Order: sequence, then C-alpha cells, then structure tokens
Amino acid sequence: MSELASAAPGATATTPTRPLLEVRGLSVAYGAIEAIRDITFSVQAGQIVSLIGANGAGKTTTLRTISGLLRPKRGEILFEGRPIHTQPAHAILGMGVAHCPEGRRLFPRMTVEENLQLGAYTRSDDGVAEDMERVYELFPVLGERRGNKAGLFSGGEQQMLAIGRAMMSRPRLLMLDEPSMGLSPIMTQRIFDTIRNLRDLGTTVLLVEQNALAALAQSDYAFVVDLGRTTLEGTGHELLADQRVRDAYLGES
Amino acid sequence: MKAMARPLIIVGSIVVIIGALLPWATFVLNDGPYPDKATLEFFDAPFGLSSFRLYLEILGLAGLVFCFVPLRDKIRVLKAVGWGALGVALINTLFIIGDGGGFGAVTVADGVTAFGGIAAVIGAAVLLYGAFQLPAEPKVVINPKLPFWAEWLILLVAFVALLLLITETLTAGGHSGVSDPYIGPLFLSYLSAAGALLGVLWAVGVTKWISDMSERHRIFSIVVLVACAVAVPFTSLGNDYWMTITANIGVYAATAIGLNIVVGLAGLLDLGYVAFMGIGAFVAANLSGAVAAEFGIRLPFLLAAIVAGIVAGLFGAIVGSPTLRVRGDYLAIVTLAFGEIFVRVSQNNIGGLTGGSNAIPNIPDLSLFGTGFNDSLTIGGVQLPSGVLYYFLIVVLVALVMFVFGNLKNSRIGRAWIAIREDEDVARAMGVKTGKLKILAFMTGATLAGLAGAVFAHKLATASYDSFQFNQSVTLLAAVILGGMGTIPGAVLGAALLFVLPEELRQFSDYRLLFFGLALVVIMRFRPQGLIADRHRRAELADQDVTGESLDDTVIKEPVAVAGAKEAGA
Repeated sequence: MSELASAAPGATATTPTRPLLEVRGLSVAYGAIEAIRDITFSVQAGQIVSLIGANGAGKTTTLRTISGLLRPKRGEILFEGRPIHTQPAHAILGMGVAHCPEGRRLFPRMTVEENLQLGAYTRSDDGVAEDMERVYELFPVLGERRGNKAGLFSGGEQQMLAIGRAMMSRPRLLMLDEPSMGLSPIMTQRIFDTIRNLRDLGTTVLLVEQNALAALAQSDYAFVVDLGRTTLEGTGHELLADQRVRDAYLGES
Repeated sequence: MKAMARPLIIVGSIVVIIGALLPWATFVLNDGPYPDKATLEFFDAPFGLSSFRLYLEILGLAGLVFCFVPLRDKIRVLKAVGWGALGVALINTLFIIGDGGGFGAVTVADGVTAFGGIAAVIGAAVLLYGAFQLPAEPKVVINPKLPFWAEWLILLVAFVALLLLITETLTAGGHSGVSDPYIGPLFLSYLSAAGALLGVLWAVGVTKWISDMSERHRIFSIVVLVACAVAVPFTSLGNDYWMTITANIGVYAATAIGLNIVVGLAGLLDLGYVAFMGIGAFVAANLSGAVAAEFGIRLPFLLAAIVAGIVAGLFGAIVGSPTLRVRGDYLAIVTLAFGEIFVRVSQNNIGGLTGGSNAIPNIPDLSLFGTGFNDSLTIGGVQLPSGVLYYFLIVVLVALVMFVFGNLKNSRIGRAWIAIREDEDVARAMGVKTGKLKILAFMTGATLAGLAGAVFAHKLATASYDSFQFNQSVTLLAAVILGGMGTIPGAVLGAALLFVLPEELRQFSDYRLLFFGLALVVIMRFRPQGLIADRHRRAELADQDVTGESLDDTVIKEPVAVAGAKEAGA
C-alpha cells in the first residue's frame, strides 16, 4: 500500500515544520453574501486535521475554494508555501490536492473502474493500473464488483469508492467533505478507520465534519468554524474536552 | 387470472386466425396494390393470403404454437406476438374505416357483411391480455460456445437478414414510393409484423446474443456492415427514389452522430445544430464554382469539404464559448438564438454568401473518372440507378463520422465528456478542464456537421437556407434522443426513422405529423433511454422488462454486497 502515498513526505506529525497547507484570512462570497469571512488554519503534513462546525458555517465552501472550484474574495491559500488560490482546479489537483466532495458525488452510471479512471484523469504516467489494484486491496468490495455501476452501491460502499477515486490522483493532501454523511455508526467507524490508515501510509487528510464527536476523536488537530470564521483550535482531544465545544457541538448543555 | 392465461391466448390466437380469413371491407378496396383480398372470402381463394392477412395468420399460428411448446420466458415471446397482431389488425381496420367512410366499411353496409377486422382486433387484444397474465420470468440469456468461424457465419447471416429486413420494410407496399396511395398502411403493417419478429427474437435472447457476438468480433462486424451498406443499391432499394432517400438518411445520420457528441456525450443541449450543417453547405457551394456563388473558384470537392468542416468548426467554437458561462436551459436558448440568426442571415443574404431566398442553385455535379455522381452506373453488367455514387460517397462519410465518434467516445476525452455530462462540478474536481472540453465538443460536432453539409449541398445541387430551419434541428435532436443518446447505431436508427417515416406516411398526409408526434411520445414513455441505449444511460433508466439488464438483478445482489462489506471490515 505504501506506494499509494509514495509522493508524500514522511510522517512529520511529531516535528511540526512548515505546514503542508496554510489558509490565511480567507473570505469567499456568493454574490453579495459572504459565505466565509475570515478562515485561518493550517494543516501539518502527516496529520488528520478537521474543520468542525454547524451546518452553514462555511466548511464546504472552504474546501471548494481550496480545490479551485470557487475563487476567494480576500485571503490566501498556500500549499507547500506556494499560493494556489489563483490556480485553476486541474492545476491544484496536479500539485497533489484531491477533493472528495460532499454527498460523494460519484458518477452513478459509470462503473467502479470508470470512476477510478476519472480520478486519475490528470495523470499521464503508467502507474494507474497499479494504483487501481491498491484501491481494490484497500476496499475489496470495490474490487469484487469493479464492473458494476457505482449508483447501485450502498452508501458506505459509495463513500469508499469516492475516497478511492480521490486517491487515484496520488494526492499529498486528501480533503474529505462529510464522509460520514448518511452512514450507519458501524460504517462511519469503518470509514474513519480507513482515513487513519491512509494517514499512517503518508497521506495528509483535511476532514470536514458535522459529526464533531467522531471527527475530533480521530483527528490529530482540529479547528472550529463558526459563522464563516475559525474560532477555536486544538488537538482533537483538547477540543473534545473543551466546554465550549461540548456545549455547542456535542449536544450537551 | 393466472390460470386463464393459456385459454385466453388460445382463444385470442384462433380468433385472430379466423378474423384474417373473414372479409375485412364491405366495398372493393382494389384500385392500388392494397391487398386485393381486402374483401377476400376465404372460400374464394383459400391459399391466396398475402400481406397483412398473411402476417395475421402467421402471428395467430405463432400464438398457438408458442402457447403449447415448452419455452423459456414465454411471457415476453407472447407479448411480442400479441402486440404485433394487435398492431397489424388495428392499423388495417382503422385504415379501412377511414378510407371507406366509417364503421359501415368494417361491419355491415349495402347488405354485405365484413367483420374480419373487428374480429382480428378483438382476438389480438385477448391474446395480448392473456400474454400479460403469464408468470414473469427472468430474461433468457443464451451464450453457446462456438468456434470463431461459426460465430462469423452467424453474424454474416444475421447482418444479411437485417439488410433484407430493412429493404423489405422500406419497400413494403411497392417500390415507387410516392404515388402509391396504400403505402402507409402496408408499411405500418409490415413494420408491426417485423417488430413482432424482432420482439420474439429479443425475448428468446437471440438479439442480445448476436449483439454480444458482434461486440466480440468488432472489426469483422464493421466490415460486414459496410459491405451490407455497399450492397444496398443491388437490392430492391436500387432505384432513383430510394437512392435519394437513403442518401438523405445517410447525411442526416452523419449529422446526428455529430450532434450525439455534443448532446449524447458532453450533455450540452444544442437547439441550433443544423446551422453548422448549413454553414458547411454554403461554404462548399461557394467553393464549387456554381454560377451563383460569390467566389468564382472551384476547389476539388475533398478540399472544399475540408474547408467547410473547418469553417463550421470555428463557428462551433464561437457558439460553444458561452458554454463556459451558461448551463442547461440557458445554453439551449443561446444555441436556439444562434440557429435563428443563421437562418435570418442566410435568408436575407447578409454578406452575399448565401444567395438569400434564391439560394445557390446549380452546384456542379461531382464526377469521378468522368462519371458524374448523378449518372447511373453499370458494374459487371448490373445497371445501378443514378445517384448511386452519391450514395457510396455518403456511406464513406457515415463510416468516417462513426470512426471519429467511436474513437473519441472510448478515449480519455470521451470519458471526460461523459464526466461533464454526469456531474460538471465533480469533473472539475477530478481535474477535467471542463471549459476547453466543452468547446472541443461543440467544435467536433460542428465540424462533422459541416462535412455532412458539404456533401448535402452537392447531392441536392442546391444550398438553400430553407433546408436548415429550426425544425430540422429539432428533428435531429429527436433522432439522437429517440435512437439512444451516446450510441452510434442509435443515432443512425433515429435518423433513419425520423427521415423515412414521414416519406412512408405520406398516405396520411394531414395526420402524419400527428401520428409521428404520438409515436415519439409513446416511445419515450416506454423506452426513455432510446431504442438502442448506451450502457451508462441504461443503468439509470432501465426498469424491469425494458432492457436485458433489469434492476431486479440489483435487488438480488445487494445483500451479498453488504455481507461482503462486513467481511471486508472484519
């Protein structure tokens, strides 16, 4: 499996250096409405970093801006120190930032294999077939049914395929938007196990979740997004213990 | 009611058989080649069955036989027989009523009785109702292991049979086409019977088997298909009339395949597509040396066609550029406006390149080794009709367009187009350069249409704005959707149906567009994925017995997959 992340630097979780991704003072507007006002956070290589927050806080907008699907109004996004917020989506993907969108957004009428091929769309090397086999190793269910239409799979299996598809571009930073959405607790646990597994193999993960409890428990570091701003930050365990977080997002009062 | 299925089918079949033998009309319907036995009394001419009566006899007997012989998937087989019989009976009965002036024509008038039509309709309805009561069965799949030469032989026979079926269908009820007053009902009767035959073959798994085989032997199938296309002038279609019709079908089929790139693959709705064909036609006309042309130069046809394609492609890129900003309905409006601008500009001869309402007439005939393309030709003692060289040229054109489409569809570009169609945002997130690819789709489609337009102008010897109006765009779009989006045979079949049916239905002059519209609505209701579906579309739209791949399979597979997921997780 390790080749999947061969392009990634070694795990540097313990020795923070320059962050892999830095977002500074990001503001994005849909017309006159500002969806995010001041988002600032950074992602250290080799970690699982979460953005948690209520519905509408601006988490998805943040991810869409990082991957180049939206343009920021203010602020900057640096990937490995280079600004990427002016780059087109395909160039950002080419640098190693993969986006696994909210609601999975597979191509339902294409087969598993075709979905994975599209994940590798920007690649021109000949390692695609090998990487595809690795995805099948990671998710044997997909391998067994590689010729089946993606739309016929269960929610959990679709999430696996969505992650596999994003991994096909050999990303150094994998951004996952609500991977637990609509999944059973057991399936959610499986997906988070997979995410940790990918982290251990060297892929840095930026996770967006409403399911704050599950996300914080799995994260090395996390930021709280509220009304378009980053308000709190800390390790997953620190935030889990923080009374303000508990009050606002973990359903205690 | 399940227990009643068999008796109903038996009774229905027998009534159909008897109905076919009874008199059908109370007056003589004999002025043309309509079965002179429309008033046949069985005892007059016991073995003189022909045309629609013959189909009914065969279908009735088939109903009886299939009811008794052991057969897998009996329900689909008998449904096909039932629909076919009902179609034949209803078409002819309605025609006799319409042409004979009311119900008297099929009941009692002037002391003559004729209940054949009504009996056959009722019998067919009972037969069909009985068929619906049969238990549902899984779709039959046949896949015998055969040596490759046997498969080749079967494919050859199948394609030749298909060619004969098509020529017979087209010429059913006379070869002349235009003047025959009975061609409509005769054609529709034949179509119903042929449809029943294909339905039975489909139900027993033969069509799927053949199409799988042709998939396995792609190259061979293509060679045989091209050979069949080349053989058309040697069949009963080998006359001036049908050479013109088939050449028109070919031009529209090529254009429809081009449109299929834009609509079927990239999912961009284009309502002004025929304008690109018009641009190609006018460019070729202006470079043909025609007297009315603006430029006095005459380029060799091949060069002129290439220029036409390039110019149309450039316009495609221009029209396509708004696709960067607008989507869906808005894009449709932009393309619609472009189509209208083209028609107005060419109608008023703005820029002087289109001849306005005078068109550009008298485009010189193409010639090859001194033989004009509109001359008739003698090969090996066989006299081929005039226009046959245009027909061959158009076969080459269609083959070329198919080649381009087939290669693009299975390429990285094709995959990206399909991804854009399915979900443009995600396609972008996957790194697809959606803007460039959408313009490329428009350009490619427009280039192919431009090529087709160049051939079209020479074939007609005229380039007139009138051939490129909005309704042509709509018909092309309907051809693509009806035939099946994203498939080559679909576009060809769609174009053939949409441009042949109006010819064949001339009989019903005032009503033909009504019938035509109704037929489209019915087909779209029962087969939304088109007659020949793309496998991607099939997945979404298939419901139980419309296609071979039913969603029933999925229901069965799902628990297995979930179990698999759990194991994998453990």
